[in-house]
Amino acid sequence: MLSAFKQLDELLRGRITSPGRLAEGKVELSLRRFVPLAVGLGASYGFFMGWYALSIYWGGTSPEPQRCWQLLASMVKLPALFLLTLMVTFPSLYVFNAMVGCRLSFTATLRLLVGAIAVNVAVAASLGPILGFFTVSTTSYPFMVLLNVAFLAVAGCVALAFLLNTLQRLAYPVVPPPAPTSPPPPDAPTDMGRSSLAEFSTAPPRELGPLDPQPSPMPDYAIGQAKTIFRIWLLIYCLVGAQMGWVLRPFIGNPNMPFSWFRPRSGNFFQAVFHQIQALLGLN
Amino acid sequence: MRTALAHADLFLRGSGPFLPEQAASRPGWWLPLMVVAFSPIYGAFMGSFDLGSAERLLIIAYSGAKVPLLLFATTALCLPGFFVLNTVLGLRDDFREAVQAVLAGQAGLSIALASLAPLTRFWYFSCGSYRAALLFNAAMFTVATAAGQIIMLRYYRPLVRRNRRHRLMLMVWVGLYAFVGMQMGWMLRPFIGDPKAPVAFFRQEPFSNAYVVIARLIFR
Repeated sequence: MLSAFKQLDELLRGRITSPGRLAEGKVELSLRRFVPLAVGLGASYGFFMGWYALSIYWGGTSPEPQRCWQLLASMVKLPALFLLTLMVTFPSLYVFNAMVGCRLSFTATLRLLVGAIAVNVAVAASLGPILGFFTVSTTSYPFMVLLNVAFLAVAGCVALAFLLNTLQRLAYPVVPPPAPTSPPPPDAPTDMGRSSLAEFSTAPPRELGPLDPQPSPMPDYAIGQAKTIFRIWLLIYCLVGAQMGWVLRPFIGNPNMPFSWFRPRSGNFFQAVFHQIQALLGLN
Repeated sequence: MRTALAHADLFLRGSGPFLPEQAASRPGWWLPLMVVAFSPIYGAFMGSFDLGSAERLLIIAYSGAKVPLLLFATTALCLPGFFVLNTVLGLRDDFREAVQAVLAGQAGLSIALASLAPLTRFWYFSCGSYRAALLFNAAMFTVATAAGQIIMLRYYRPLVRRNRRHRLMLMVWVGLYAFVGMQMGWMLRPFIGDPKAPVAFFRQEPFSNAYVVIARLIFR
């Protein structure tokens, strides 16, 4: 358990996806470790998410014992949302990659996506205590829906940035680091900003974080093809993820509706968010 | 006591052991201690609006306990997210210093609040309106928050010079803290104590959401 968290820490710090370790186009990320970890972290966010139904039940505004099932449903559905999105998008992502000759292998692609999901759920789970706090103190269902959308959007953006940066590191060949430049002569004129920078230049080089851009980017003509694929990745992943969330609803549990594992398929995610904003502001 | 005040003085001036550039030798544990020492002072003064009966003296103790609780509980809720986002942005090596900067902001807020406490009491003395007391306390919190932000920025500046992403994390912290803090303050009411309401640690009504209340006030 502890070693799993250590590995997650390595991933979040960007050590697993550092340019040096990605040099050969391999992603050293253990699926056996990270899939259960992603499930556990997703379930922990799901716990805070489903807690709303439980607090409503305790509060007595909707006293059906069945509502307690929502907690379990959310804990199962949240990791399922990410893993099912992966299952749906992975084949097409791999095929598009292979078509443009990206050097990512089948397993490397899978590992990379699992890594992105792990980052996503780790960020979401870290916001869980705030969500739990609002759950305890809020009865407004539209507010909870929008808060969850906001938190998952933040986590999703961080995960997408991680995915893009890692893909860029994988796609571009690793350029050896430039030779250290000789320090300026001591009598060279310096202004305040430069002197403060010179002060830090003596410190050991800082390791690259997972969202730090590649230090030696390739020229534009070389990255055009890879960029197109990254955009396709983003689009497919976001659309499928949002719609998967819609298919798997309810996650929070509307207090005015009886508990059900799934709801009839109607409308879409974006329409629903718009309606919840209207409801929160009392405009409908 | 004298040592504590001397430390607070050095802290406010950003000198001695609290020099922003000297993170390694900074006595970081003084920062939460200053929050514990100074914030209850304002809390107690805040709760002294109506001293009409012995029972109402309880509000002084309640508010004295609730102000540090508000600051620490909000910080505790925001820290996990702040930690993970710092890590993902590659700022983990500076996290200790970032937390110290955050705590410095809260220590600054607490000291500023404590210094404004007599002013609040004087306002209560000269103006008996509960509504005016609410507004005056809001103004005092705004002033103290600005002071806290200035001190936090002082400790964040060396971090931003080292890595510009700290500026983003500073904004994230301020946004997250304000978002959670507002609801925490709403939940922990009453702080002043409406003279018409019974004395209680928490309001005798179900918890509600500050943002929903505000949205309904604006849009209805």
